[in-house]
Amino acid sequence: MTQGNGNRSRLLLVILIVTALFFITLDLRGVSLTKGSRSVSQTLLAPVQKTVFTVFSPIGRFFSDVANFGNTQSKINELKAENSALKSKLVKDSDIAAQFKQLKGVLDLAGRGQYKVVAARVIGRGTASSFSQTITIDVGSANGVSNNMTVTSEHGLVGLIKNVTRSSSIVLLMNDPTFKVGVKITRSQSVGVLSGQGNDVYTLVLLDPAGMIRVGDSLVTNGSEHNRPFVPGVPIGEVISVVNSTTSLTQTATVKAYTNLNDLGVVSVVIDAPTTAPTAPIVPTPIPTVTVLVTPSPIPTISDSPAPGDLKPAPAITSNKKK
Amino acid sequence: MSPIRILSTILFLFLVFAVQESAVSLIHFPVTGFSLYVAVAISLIASEDHNGSLVMGFLAGIVLDLSPTSDSPFGQWALVFTLIGYLFAVNKESIADFTSSPITFVLLVAVGSAAAFALDLGFGAMLGEEIGSIKHDLIISVGNGMWSIIFAPIFLPGLRYARRFLLTSKER
Repeated sequence: MTQGNGNRSRLLLVILIVTALFFITLDLRGVSLTKGSRSVSQTLLAPVQKTVFTVFSPIGRFFSDVANFGNTQSKINELKAENSALKSKLVKDSDIAAQFKQLKGVLDLAGRGQYKVVAARVIGRGTASSFSQTITIDVGSANGVSNNMTVTSEHGLVGLIKNVTRSSSIVLLMNDPTFKVGVKITRSQSVGVLSGQGNDVYTLVLLDPAGMIRVGDSLVTNGSEHNRPFVPGVPIGEVISVVNSTTSLTQTATVKAYTNLNDLGVVSVVIDAPTTAPTAPIVPTPIPTVTVLVTPSPIPTISDSPAPGDLKPAPAITSNKKK
Repeated sequence: MSPIRILSTILFLFLVFAVQESAVSLIHFPVTGFSLYVAVAISLIASEDHNGSLVMGFLAGIVLDLSPTSDSPFGQWALVFTLIGYLFAVNKESIADFTSSPITFVLLVAVGSAAAFALDLGFGAMLGEEIGSIKHDLIISVGNGMWSIIFAPIFLPGLRYARRFLLTSKER
């Protein structure tokens, strides 16, 4: 490198670093230009993601299945039985049927918790350019979704809304290492804090020094003020081991979540919920005991013959109980 | 680097970014995810001359800063990739071309990818972001490097071909 070239490179380096630091400062001070640029890119990407998801979701599911390979024999047997049962059902379109099943489960759960929800399809999974665990869903502010809303699946908690545009939203998943949620043990009503670990197990720290955790205890969300970010009573998971430490005042435990975050197709965003926790804790049961009715959308659909699995998000879906 | 070249490079990076966000991120890779965008950006940085590495790094970082799922402040990836570009620029003589020494080049891309994530983590920590557990972050950084080793030989020939189109006639 000649002297002139070296000086020019150093000058260029300084200019670029100063520019980057300038952007960082603007962003940290909350300047709308930098915040808006991400919303614009999300708005532009959402239609592409929806199209690509429709075409490539079977490929993505294949890799997901490969990633989950190697579970216990009982789990494999259970899946084999489930697979053979599903094969008979999945004559038409396995992908659409699976999404319909998830949607039904999601609405079942919403109906039991008396949550007003918006159903959504997962159109993207967290980018590898970030350390956070996220998914992108196809509903946004146009559907009544806003930041810090609870997101659930058919089995329980998924995460919370982190960022919203008009037609899509980003969900921070509950396994993100920065994710923390106040939980309640259904058996003893003891309260604790559950933290994500970046994988499919979670750490529960009990707040009550006299409280006891047992293996098999079910956990539900404790709820937040004005239901933001968490509505009360959403099932989270089950305690699989208890850690007894003499150095800690309270008990800690390892928890396995009900929701498999690697296999999310349809989720729901809770846009409204009762201000008090449900009288009985909502824990998923193998056989749904509640039928959920979906109120038809007030806006007429354009399609002449909608397919059964056509999961266009309605402005708001209200789930009602029917005995 | 001419303005036309800068514009065409930004468009190309946007295309890779869209592929990353809409297609690659759908695939659930074992251990950790793979960032095609970071690997491609590092490859382009490594292919440039001294000043080109710096500019390419900055542009690649700005495009990545647009990622809607990114937690970091806008400009952080630009800072990270500018520094990566600088590291490649000062060691330009020891970096071989992909055609002359493909294994070394692939290894450099892998190390560069892992280093980019580690730098981003470091800056994030300095700026007060929650970075989670070190073990988890280490798995992501190293995992990305490992996936880069596997995938770089697949996409590098195509990238070399695409880069030829990005160059202006004078640069060719």
